[in-house]
Amino acid sequence: MSRQSNRTTDSKKMNAELFTLTYGALVTQLCKDYENDEEVNKQLDKMGYNIGVRLIEDFLARSSVGRCQDFRETADVIAKVAFKMYLGITPSVTNWSPAGDEFSLILESNPLVDFVELPDNHSSLVYSNLLCGVLRGALEMVQMAVEVKFSQDTLRGDNVTEIRMKFIKRMEENLPAGDE
Amino acid sequence: MLTRLKTQVPLFSMNSYTKLREKLKLSGLSFASTHSHVIRLGRHSRHNSKMAVCIAVIAKENYPLFIRSVPIQNELKFHYTVHTSLDVVEEKISAVGKAMADQRELYLGLLYPTEDYKVYPHLIKWYVTCLHQFFSYQIVCILLYRHTRYGYVTNSKVKFVIVVDSSNTSLRDNEIRSMFRKLHNSFTDVMCNPFYNPGDTIQSKAFDSIVSAMMVQAS
Repeated sequence: MSRQSNRTTDSKKMNAELFTLTYGALVTQLCKDYENDEEVNKQLDKMGYNIGVRLIEDFLARSSVGRCQDFRETADVIAKVAFKMYLGITPSVTNWSPAGDEFSLILESNPLVDFVELPDNHSSLVYSNLLCGVLRGALEMVQMAVEVKFSQDTLRGDNVTEIRMKFIKRMEENLPAGDE
Repeated sequence: MLTRLKTQVPLFSMNSYTKLREKLKLSGLSFASTHSHVIRLGRHSRHNSKMAVCIAVIAKENYPLFIRSVPIQNELKFHYTVHTSLDVVEEKISAVGKAMADQRELYLGLLYPTEDYKVYPHLIKWYVTCLHQFFSYQIVCILLYRHTRYGYVTNSKVKFVIVVDSSNTSLRDNEIRSMFRKLHNSFTDVMCNPFYNPGDTIQSKAFDSIVSAMMVQAS
């Protein structure tokens, strides 16, 4: 089902600032439209989900990794291959829960948030929530239901950005839930 | 009405001179000269790396986006200072005119030095009583600072003005240029913040910290 990896040489370079500014414009426009941080977070997650269900195909075509045997392998692939390929950063995988179904991705730098400073009236906005949606959508397409959320964020004053991912269940051959 | 003394002030007696010096020392000011008819006072400066007394960022439409001054003295005075230096900036911009094939941002350099006068009423009384022994009432203007202003304009007509207190060691041109470069860089970072609307006052913490690093520490 995976295409031949003739897309690997196709990654054109693009200016990172344009990407950051585009994302920033997106978030601020959502804030203006919805005027409610929680609502904006939800929308970002939905958008991320839609990106994720499509991005997984591209990822599988480019990286030609096989099926992951367990969640740990999934975590490594996400951190070392996926993030590197799309954002150019390599987060570290830490804080495994005892049951082995929850882990943290620690990002020292997040290219989405260069130059961004959250104003005080948006204190509950999760700026990079798109990433959560992308991860959730992508994993759902490979039959893994996960819950993704940010537990630390540099925009809120923490030192690093931490994404917490929890494995919920392996999905049987269901059709994806579709756009919510 | 404050007028400058026109005649030379003879040195007053050692006694009153030392008393006056002590009094001035207590308020952190120093005597630079006793002969001239204008007494120059300068602040003791123990730190030479941070020299700016006031930093301002002014938008294209000539309203301030950011203005911060050392809070010791009257802040309004600095606002006026910056406002008047805008006139000089405008003049310089228009003077270059058609010859602006030069793509570099305009570093305007020294705008003009001013001698600001500030009157300390309690010190005046002291001084006058000392003088009184020698001649009748003359009120002095005490030259407090010599401020020099430096300007910098970007291609988008955003202006930066730095006011420094030049009674300390005078800053080299390079240092001023590097200060402006730093300011310009952090200004572009502020601009890139998606939550910042161009035309708003600048409230970024990162920008504040860069500016504070350049200002004279309030002692």
